[in-house]
Amino acid sequence: MKIYFKSLAMHLKGELEYRVDFILSFLSQILVFFTYYFIIIALFTKFEHIKGFTLYEVLLCFSIIQFGFSFNEVFARGIDKFDDLIIQGNFDRLLLRPRNIILQVLCSNSDFVKVSRLIQALIIMFIATIHLSIDWNITRVITLLLMLLSSCIIFFGIFLMAAAYCFFTIQGLEVRNVFTDGGKHMAQYPIGVFQKGFVYFFTFVIPYAFVNYYPLLYFLGKKDSLFYAFSPLLVLLYLIPCIIIFYWGMKRYTSVGS
Amino acid sequence: MRAYITYFKLKFISSLQYRMAAWAGIATQFFFGFVYIMVYVAFYESGGNHLPMELPQVVTYLWLNQAFLALVNQFTKDQELYKLIKEGGISYELARPKNLYFMWYFKVIGQRLANVTLRFLPLILVTSLLPKPFHLGAPASFLHFLFFLLSLGLGTLLVTALTVFYPIITLLTMNEKGTVTLIITIGDILSGIVVPIPFFPRFLQIISSFLPFQYISDLPFRLYVGDISLQYGVFGMCIQFIWIILFILLGNILMKINIKRVVVQGG
Repeated sequence: MKIYFKSLAMHLKGELEYRVDFILSFLSQILVFFTYYFIIIALFTKFEHIKGFTLYEVLLCFSIIQFGFSFNEVFARGIDKFDDLIIQGNFDRLLLRPRNIILQVLCSNSDFVKVSRLIQALIIMFIATIHLSIDWNITRVITLLLMLLSSCIIFFGIFLMAAAYCFFTIQGLEVRNVFTDGGKHMAQYPIGVFQKGFVYFFTFVIPYAFVNYYPLLYFLGKKDSLFYAFSPLLVLLYLIPCIIIFYWGMKRYTSVGS
Repeated sequence: MRAYITYFKLKFISSLQYRMAAWAGIATQFFFGFVYIMVYVAFYESGGNHLPMELPQVVTYLWLNQAFLALVNQFTKDQELYKLIKEGGISYELARPKNLYFMWYFKVIGQRLANVTLRFLPLILVTSLLPKPFHLGAPASFLHFLFFLLSLGLGTLLVTALTVFYPIITLLTMNEKGTVTLIITIGDILSGIVVPIPFFPRFLQIISSFLPFQYISDLPFRLYVGDISLQYGVFGMCIQFIWIILFILLGNILMKINIKRVVVQGG
């Protein structure tokens, strides 16, 4: 763990060397990213609700997903950009070192400009919860924290799977966008609003529903069962197959040379 | 002229090679199409007031967007051009006794046409066979369809002029990540890929009508579904034409200025 934080600090120092560039990109990220929230707000000027969810409920849902996604973009950039490691042959170097391979991949890259998105997600979440008049109690606080945590975990898992996919294709083809960007786009709305088939897919295959739907129902007071409140914990199970697939892919890895 | 057409052919034929990537693209576009559409289906089922378009119109609009994405999208940066600038390859380009702007223009348009040729048919065929509400509808009328084709052609010329314009700016700034990315993101939203222009708030629709972005793909697709009258279609195509001329002129002038100051990177 110490190594990871050290490498994070190094990356941060590296990025701050280009201070003006960093600040400008940071600001433009905030501007760019606001457009995504804007799309949702624009749609809600024409529609009052989506299957019973109001604007602020959707914004809350989106900010949680956005938080998890950006969290991985900042702290797990190496996995997100895994195809670079493979194509340039740098992965071979990592294999030589006597450390955990996933940890090393994590250390290889990071992108602190994306912290702007994290902050933005937190701001939107704050605004949304204020407008929602939540009946606060200790389980609700825990549920919210669990949602944030599971959001980070699910994207970590998806990034890992996408990375494993690179072992076979070498190139990061567009298909992986389906699960990262596509999944993110879908999950900005509570999964339950979609058609049955998709809901099942995103409950049992990629468990987005345990991140942004079932716990959300509890958090908003639409359901009372404690199972809903703690359902984000199930996402932890999802990590297991992801890690297994990653290691399985690694066994078949043949270097592309450099 | 012949030299430029050769450039076009070269790029077109070489881009046709990437068939695996095209299949991956088709799969991705199907998925995104379904996701976008399901959001609207859920919204329409929940009801709303004064909706600017019917659901089948929106669905058709979104499928067309996915089918022709490779042709009209603004977010693909032609990496080859940026690489030329950043790694010094531009010195070879400058050695050629041809207009650099049009060399680039024909390359980009060749690539776009090749990419869309590989992708649009499967999408159109399959989606027009899908059951409701995911069904791609027929055009509003024969004339609407004709106008759609015309304005899609003009839209392609326009988006190419824009895509060539960005690397020319990069000639001076050397980094496309700041300004260019910002413009592209705004352009993306205003081209109606996720939310068709009629769903925007009033003030934004007005601002958008003074910018080039919505004339790339929003105009042709709304003509197809019949959301825009034929008279307005003619008007819209005139605007498209003006923007095309403007950007080609501007691109040429800026190219001349920037080429004088360009610093060749690397060796």
